[in-house]
Formats: sequence, structure tokens, C-alpha cells
Amino acid sequence: MAPLPFELTPAIAALPFVSFLIALFVGAFAPRLLPKGGAVPGILATGGSLLLSLWVMLTVSGGETYHEYVTWVAGAGEATFDLHLGVLVDPLSAMMLVIVSLVAFLVHIFSLGYMNDEGETGLPRYYAGLGLFTASMLSFVFADNLLMAFMFFELVGLCSWLLIGFWFRDDAPPSAAKKAFLVTRFGDYFFLVGLVGVFATFGTSMFVGGEGEGAIQSFPHIAEQVLAGEGAAEVTTYLGLDPQAWFAVLGLLILGGVVGKSAQFPLHTWLPDAMEGPTPVSALIHAATMVAAGVYLVARIYGFYALLPQVLALIAFVGGFTALFAATMGVVKREIKQVLAYSTISQYGYMMLGLGAGGYVAATFHLMTHAFFKALLFLGAGSVIIAMHHNEDMWDMGGLKDRMPVTYYTFLSGSLALAGIVPFAGFWSKDEILYEALVHGLNTPLLLAAYVMGLLAVFFTGFYTFRMVALTFHGEPRSDTARNPHDVRWNVKGPLAVLGILAAVAGVVNMLPVQKVLGVKNIDFLHQWLDSGPEALSAHHYGELLHDFAHYSAGTIGSGVTTVLLGAGLSLALALAGAGLAWKLYAVPDPEEHTDKLGGAKTVLFNNYYQDEYQVWLAEGLTLPLARAADKFDQGVIDGVVNGVSSVSLFGGSRIRRVQTGVVSNYAFLLTASFVVLLVVIGLVGGWF
Amino acid sequence: MAFQLPTWMALGPTLVLGLTALLLLVFDSIEPDTTNRGLLAGTAALGSLAAVGLSAWYLVAGTGEEPISLYQNTVVVDTMTLFFGLVFASVTALVVVASYDYMRDHSYQAEYYALVMLAATGMTLMAAANSLAVVFVSLELSSLPSFALVAILKKNRGSVEAGLKYFLIGALSSAIFVYGVSLVYGVTGSLLLPEVASGVADTNLTGVLGIGVMMILGGFAYKTASVPFHFWAPEAYEGAPAPVAAFLSSASKAAGFAVAFRVLTVAFPVEELVTGAAGSVDWVLAAQILAVVTMTLGNFAAATQDEVKRMLAYSSIGHAGYVLIALASLSGGSDQFVLAGGMAHLLVYGFMNTGAFLFIALAEYWSVGRTFEDYNGLATKAPFASVAMTVFLFSLAGLPPFGGFMSKYFLFAGAVRAGFWWLAAIGAINSALSLYYYSRVVKAIWIEDPSGDFDIESKPVGLYTAIVAAAVVTVLLLPGFGSVWQFATDAAAALVA
Repeated sequence: MAPLPFELTPAIAALPFVSFLIALFVGAFAPRLLPKGGAVPGILATGGSLLLSLWVMLTVSGGETYHEYVTWVAGAGEATFDLHLGVLVDPLSAMMLVIVSLVAFLVHIFSLGYMNDEGETGLPRYYAGLGLFTASMLSFVFADNLLMAFMFFELVGLCSWLLIGFWFRDDAPPSAAKKAFLVTRFGDYFFLVGLVGVFATFGTSMFVGGEGEGAIQSFPHIAEQVLAGEGAAEVTTYLGLDPQAWFAVLGLLILGGVVGKSAQFPLHTWLPDAMEGPTPVSALIHAATMVAAGVYLVARIYGFYALLPQVLALIAFVGGFTALFAATMGVVKREIKQVLAYSTISQYGYMMLGLGAGGYVAATFHLMTHAFFKALLFLGAGSVIIAMHHNEDMWDMGGLKDRMPVTYYTFLSGSLALAGIVPFAGFWSKDEILYEALVHGLNTPLLLAAYVMGLLAVFFTGFYTFRMVALTFHGEPRSDTARNPHDVRWNVKGPLAVLGILAAVAGVVNMLPVQKVLGVKNIDFLHQWLDSGPEALSAHHYGELLHDFAHYSAGTIGSGVTTVLLGAGLSLALALAGAGLAWKLYAVPDPEEHTDKLGGAKTVLFNNYYQDEYQVWLAEGLTLPLARAADKFDQGVIDGVVNGVSSVSLFGGSRIRRVQTGVVSNYAFLLTASFVVLLVVIGLVGGWF
Repeated sequence: MAFQLPTWMALGPTLVLGLTALLLLVFDSIEPDTTNRGLLAGTAALGSLAAVGLSAWYLVAGTGEEPISLYQNTVVVDTMTLFFGLVFASVTALVVVASYDYMRDHSYQAEYYALVMLAATGMTLMAAANSLAVVFVSLELSSLPSFALVAILKKNRGSVEAGLKYFLIGALSSAIFVYGVSLVYGVTGSLLLPEVASGVADTNLTGVLGIGVMMILGGFAYKTASVPFHFWAPEAYEGAPAPVAAFLSSASKAAGFAVAFRVLTVAFPVEELVTGAAGSVDWVLAAQILAVVTMTLGNFAAATQDEVKRMLAYSSIGHAGYVLIALASLSGGSDQFVLAGGMAHLLVYGFMNTGAFLFIALAEYWSVGRTFEDYNGLATKAPFASVAMTVFLFSLAGLPPFGGFMSKYFLFAGAVRAGFWWLAAIGAINSALSLYYYSRVVKAIWIEDPSGDFDIESKPVGLYTAIVAAAVVTVLLLPGFGSVWQFATDAAAALVA
């Protein structure tokens, strides 16, 4: 019997699921019995999940991990495999459980202020969606195999569709919901094919292997053994590829799902539109659930990706490019949530860069800090939006600093973290990612290019962040609503305060530069945390894999300490430069739009590099004619054949019917004649004559 | 077992059925114009249920595991005898119970039940026949009452005409069959099947033997309503009272197959005549031709019918084609499997096909009409019976979750195992076609709106009992298919192992 909290792990996801059921059924059949439209069950459930998650995390910190599974489909016959549902609790999933349940809990509380106090209708539907969303994400986090992860990955996608399109009577939200659903689904096709490929190749999709002889091995472990040429592990490869190349194909296919969900270039286009959903939903989607799912998946099977240098390089490059690309688009946006949307894309780009550059711990670290400060920024934006009577245009704001101080100071804390200003959380994690990219990039040109893009993005991040802060909170109010904003209550300020503190101090869990420069031992708590747990899932094992299989090695500029100082100093300087420029331009009583100075680039940026346009063209100019041709083929050829077969059958049937004339002498003749023919045929075959 | 029954008791089911027939004749001679339907139908039902019980008991007790030879080896009782005895007796019981209502206003009640019992006696004897003489006699014993049964509605022109046509074709086929027997006797010098087999092994008169074998095969084709000896079937089934059509298309067909299985595998061994060094009488090839032609013709003709009963008649020809696969796949190295598949399909078919015809009987009882359109919206009036009919039809088409799915699956799987995948493929294509015309009935019953008012006054107890029993067995045969398969495998082992 495993320790009690581990036995209770499924309840972490079950609690929000129950709240989903309550909101759904009580909301449908007895809405008057549902206090606050379903918020109370949701808050209680996510609060319970948070407590259980903390308990689990505490137990994991005692050095214990947990893996249990049940077989829900047993394979029959040879060369088949079982399908499992299981729970895997290791340091990574324990940490993620806490993050997700914390953010979900705070989002539920915040929703009291954003949805209930604003008198929205359809609240049971809203809280049902939130509950299912949280439950799906939590189950995804503790999934122990790729199939289960895929199933909950899809459920997360479904819930995002439900919630983004919450205001389905307007025009934009349903369209945005559909876009989010379709674009992420496009990526998930690849994931699904990759999943089937993993089963076909390895016969299992477990993340972690069992103990002892005959136990199920994890697929990254099998892949490792095959590539190392040791052990008796055997795999089936396809398309005539050798294992190395075939594994890379599988890795890329799974990556398709990741790119879609984590909104990486070129599948990022759904995310800015998803801002049509209620702001707390945006916070949940961007900080802890949907978008995080992609990056978490890569971290979860990092043992597989660490074997594939080409895929890693691609991840890093796409990540670095996305970070820069999205950051430049964030510079010109007018709506506060749009800025945050592009910053989300950009920040997840950093995480992908970190993973691709071999910085498993760094990326996980950034996943954590980003969850805190991005949830904070979205909730802060939500608070501003309440105050502004749901006007999101920053050019109508200004001067809100004095009127809503709690929001201002917490938002500032989040902004400093986002921009990467020391000592806020974002600085430490982003710096560690860039450091990993730099040291590994010194030996790999592609990584170095990704690093340069990530570094440049720091400048833009600082710029758009402080442009946003300045336009929103500083200067003179530029509209009547900004002069006389709506009040917000405790249920908005409370979550902001919690997250504001976390955004400021969460960096202390892994102050690697301090350790390296000052030589203080053992303050890289997160690194140690991720190094505990099962050997095959530990950070140093990944490090060995990266070294042995991906041939990553760290270079230095001068000494190690110089490299650290150089990297950190460079990114900090760029962040300060960007922030300072924005401050100078916009933190004035009456700021102007400086976008005209950008010239031709302005149009390109406002149009988001025409990403939507070319994807729409792909859909309308390429896919639609192709679908029409396929439809023609189906209608004409396939249906034609089917219809032809049936009319031939019926025609033949009516001919056969005519043989039955009803005249018995005809029957006797036909009978005898056919029998003689049969006799002659068999006689000829047998050679009787 | 604490006591040992005398060996002649192994023919118990046959004897019980025969004695019941005689008892009914006694009733008839005492009171020719009796209207006591309950007594007559009850006696017949009790007799057939006793035969069901005896067969089942013998099967479970393993009586047939060591074949029991009787009357100088002219009759043999093995697992196959008992297995088919169970099929015949069950169908007889269903038909008799249903006839209680169906025959309510007809004269010749006692004759009717006596003839059914006599035909059933002949069928059980066919499954036990081990000599060509017994084969012929028992075949006639089941055929002659059938002619009379088809024509039992003396005032109905269709019934009389069908009876006459059936008789004429039957007489022609019997002539061909008995001529074939005489040729085989001339070549081998014996009528006992095992001795025929040894005579076949060392003969030079291959041509004469071949003609004899083919003629015997023709006789079986007549009994099983296989092409080209099928011409009587659509007319006879259509003209006959529906319970009789159920009886003929289920039990009589199964009897034909039972005797064909035994005669062809025991008397004309595949390894001697077909695959052996001197292989020259390729009756397996003939069976393949017959199987393909029969299932194709049956299904194609069924697809274009306008009347439900005639559609079922052709579908029953199609099913004969499926079972012929069992004979056509011998020589493929998995004889036991395919034979067992054929037997299991006949058992399941016995219930589902009887049930379907009994639903027709119910419709005729209500004077609903004969065409598909006449059945429109029947479910609104008789939902319970309509559910049962849907079960029968989908089971006939071979859809899960009904018994017909498993038996057809095993039959086709047997053909594939024997290497005759093309037979299974043709069977599967025909099954797909059959789904079309079976669904037409289901669509008419459930989906279409009634075109007129049904004049449904009563729900006949006997017909309902029989239909429900058949439906329940058809459904239960899916979970219970394991034991059916076990008995079928044992039965097949007696022939080819």
C-alpha cells in the first residue's frame, strides 16, 4: 500500500470533475439550489485539489514516488499490447499538480468577481466548463502513458472550445472557439499518428518502466537501449528507416500536437483570437492548462527527445523564433489582452527553446514562474477590464495607478517578472534558459542562432510590457471610464495579491547564477527536486542522455563565471533597455502613438505578419479545391460503383426471378439440364469418358 | 451412470416421434371430426418436447461419443445423430405449438399433426442412416408427409398447386437419387456406408461410380433446396401454411444436410475420391459449384421479391448455399472445423428461420397481407412480435449480437482456414446483399407509416409462445455458442476425425 496521499491522487482530478457534474446537472435541473451559479462547488473542489496536491508534493519531497496502473483494454493474440490507465507521481508531475490546482483555485475565486459580480448569465455552464477543464488538465498531468495523456489532451482542447466560445451569442467568440479547436486539432492529428506509431514501434507508451523482470518498459527507455545497441530490446521501424531516423519521425509527429497546443509558430494563430473568452478563462488557458500542456508533454517524455539531436535542434529553433516573432507583434497591439496573448506565445517559445537547448530544468522552471506571473497579469488585466466596464483598449485607459493601487502593484510585480528584471521570478528562469542555450550553442551553430533570437526577444518583451504598464496605469486618464473606474472587490484583489507575491519571489527556488558566481552550495532547489525521483526521469539522467546521444556539450566564454555573468548581464541590459525606451515614450501624461514611425513595418505588424491570411489561403485556396475534388471522386466514382453494384444486383435478381416461371415442366427440364451440365463438368474434370 | 439403457433406446427421439404420430392416428380413427385442438396439439407438442429432452439428455450424457450401431449396422447413433435430432425436435415443437392457433379453423387436424410427426421421424432417421437403403427410405418418410402438409389447405388453390409441384419435383429427384444408389451398389456391392467406402477404394468403374455419386448428391440437393434442385422451394414455401413452410425450410433442410454430411464423408471419402492418387470423382468441386450458385441465386432472387414469405423462401435457398460451404471446403485440411461450422449454423438457423416464418404465420393469422407494403407500421400494433422478427432477420443477416453472427462467422472462418477464402468472400458478399432485403422488412415494420388499419383482434397464445421461444434462443445462442460449438465439433469428429 502506497502512502495515503498517493492513493488519493486520482481524487485530485476527481474533485473538479465532481464540481463539473454538480454545476452541469444541478445547474440544469435545479439552478436555484446552486449557490453562486456553481462557483462554490468549484472553489471547494479546486481548493481540495490544491490541498491534496500540496500533500502529494510533500510526500514526494520525502523521496517517494508512485506509479500504479490498470489495464483497460487487454491485447489478444500475438504481437499486441495492452492499453493502460495509470497514475504517475514524480517530482515533475507533483510540481505541476500544485501549479495547476493553485491557478485553477485562484481563477475560480477571481471568477466570482469577474463573472458573478458582473451579473453574467449562464454561470453553471461556465463553472461546469472550468471544472472539466481543471479535471482534464490534472489528469493529463499525472497520466503515466502517452495514450492517456492524449485522451486528456483532447479533453483539454474540448474544454477550451467550450470556454472560449462561452459568449456564444456574439459573433466573435464562437468563431474564435472554432479556430482554437481546429488549429490545435490540426496539430493533434500528427500527435495521434505519432501515438499510434509509438504503440506500433515499442508496443507500449508508458512514460516510466516497471521494476523487475518482465515488467513493462517505458518507451523512452526502449528507445535508449536500441540506440545504444545494448539489451535485448527490439522495435519495429517503418518506412525503411533506421531506428534513429524513425524515432526522429515519431518525435516530430508528437511535436505536432505540442506546437498546436503550446501555440508555437506556425500554429500560434488561434491563441490571440482565444482572447474572446472570459478573462479568467484566458488566465487558466495561458498560465496553467491548455498552452502549458504542450510544453509539459515534451518535459514528460524528455527522455525520448534527449535521444534525438535533430528534433531537439528543431524544438530550440522553433522556440527561439516564436519567442522573437511573437514579441515583435506584441509591440503594436492596442488591447491589453492582445499584448498578453502575444507575450504568452513568446514566453512558451522560451520554454521550447530551453527544452531544445538541453535545459530541462530551466524550461520547467520557466513553466512554473510563467504560470504565476502570467496568471497574475491576466487576472490583473481582468481587474482593469472590470474597472473599465469591459473596454480593453489601452488608449482609453491611463492613470489607473492611483485609483486601483492593489491591481497596480501586483500587475507591476508581474510585469517586472515578465520583462525579466532582477530579482523577480521571470528573470531567474528566463536567464537560465538563455544561459543553457548559450553554453550549448557555443558548440552548435543552430542553437546559437536560436539563442540570438531569444536574446533579441528580451528587448521587445521589456518594451511591450512597459508600454502596456505605462499606457494602462500612468499618465492622464484618456476617457471618462478611466477617470471614474468601477470598484473591484476582495475576490479580485485576493488572488492578485497571492500571485503578486509569488511572481516576485518564486525565483528563489533556483537561483543558479548566484550559486555559480558566489559559489553558494545547494541553493538550486528546483534542480535537486527534479533530480530526485525515479532514475529514468531525473534531470541528471536527461543530462547524460543529452551528452551521450545528442552530443550536447557546454562551452564557455572565458571561465564559467564570466559566461554566467555575461549571459545574465546581456539579457538584463536588453530588458532594461526595452523597458526604459517604452517608459520614456509612453509613461508621460499624454502619450502618443509612435507606431507611424515604424513605416511599412507597422502594417505588417498590425496584420501579424499575415499569418492568418496565408492560413486562410491554405484552407480556401488549397484545401477546399482538394476537398471538392475528393468529394467529386467520392460522389462520382465511389458512389457510382456502389450504385452500379446495387443496380446490377437488382437487375440480375429480376432476371433470376424470371427463371421461376411457375410451370412445373419447365422446372423439370431446367433441373435435368443443369444436372447434366454439372455431371459433364465433373466427369470431364475426373476423366471418366 | 447407475443403470445402462438398452442400446435400441439410443434411437429414443426417433421412436418417441414415431409413436406420437401413431397415437395421433389412433385419436383420429376414434373421433375423426374432433375439434379438440388442445388435445391434438398438446400430444404432438409433448411428443416433440420429449424428443428434445431425450436428445439433449443423450448429448449431455455423452451417449454418442462411442457410436452405437443398430440393426446390423444400418443405423448408427453418434453425436451428430443426436445433435440433429435436437434441431429437428426443437423445430417440430415450435411448429406444433404455433400450429395450435394457425390451424384453428381447418379440418384434418389430427392428420396434420400426425404428418408433422411422421416427417420429423423420418428426419431423425435420416441423421442416423448408415445404409443407402435406410437413407432412401427415411428420405421418403420425411418427404411424403411433406407433400401432403404443403397441400393440407385443400380449399386453397395455392396450397394445392404448391403441393403438386413439390410432389412432381420430389418424385423426379427421388428417381435420380435412387438410380444413383443403384449405380453405387452395382460398383461397390454394398449399401452400408463403410463398406461402400472400401468398395470405392478398389474399383475400376470410375465413370459409373461418378455418375452414381453425382446423382446421390443431386438427391441431397433436392432435399436441401440447393440449385438446380431448388425449383420446388419458393412455390412450396409460399403456398404452404406458414408453419409448414417453417418446418420444411428449417428442419427438412437440416435433415438433408445431416444425411449429406454422413453419406458423402463416410461412403465417398475425400482422400480416396478427391485428393487421393486415383482421385477422379471430385464431388467437392461439385459442392463448390453448387455452393456458389446456390447462395448467389438465392440472395439475388430474394433481393427482388415483393412478398415477404417468398423473400424468406429465397433467403432459405441462400442459406443452403452457405451451409454447402461446409461440404465445399472439405479436402482443405480443416474438415472438422468447417463441418462443425455447417452444423452449428444449421442449429442456429433452425431457430431463427423458424421464428421468421412463424412471424409470417402470425401475419397470415391476422390477415395482414403478403407484400412488404402490407407490413408497413406493423410495429405500432404488435411491437413485441416485431422486436422478435427484427431479431430473427438481423440474425439471419449475420449481425451481432445474435446467434446467426457467430455461426456464420465460424462457418466462413472454417472455409478460410481450409484455404477456400474465396468461398468465404462470396459468402460475405452475399450476406451483405442479404442485409438489404432483410432490412426492407425491418424498415417496413418499424419506420414506415401504416397504410391502412390492421384488423388485429387477438394475440394468439400459441404463436406468440413459439415466436418468443425462438427469439430467446436466437439471442441466447450468442453467449451459449461455446457449448453449441463443442457439440458440433464432437459431431463432426465422428465423421472426419
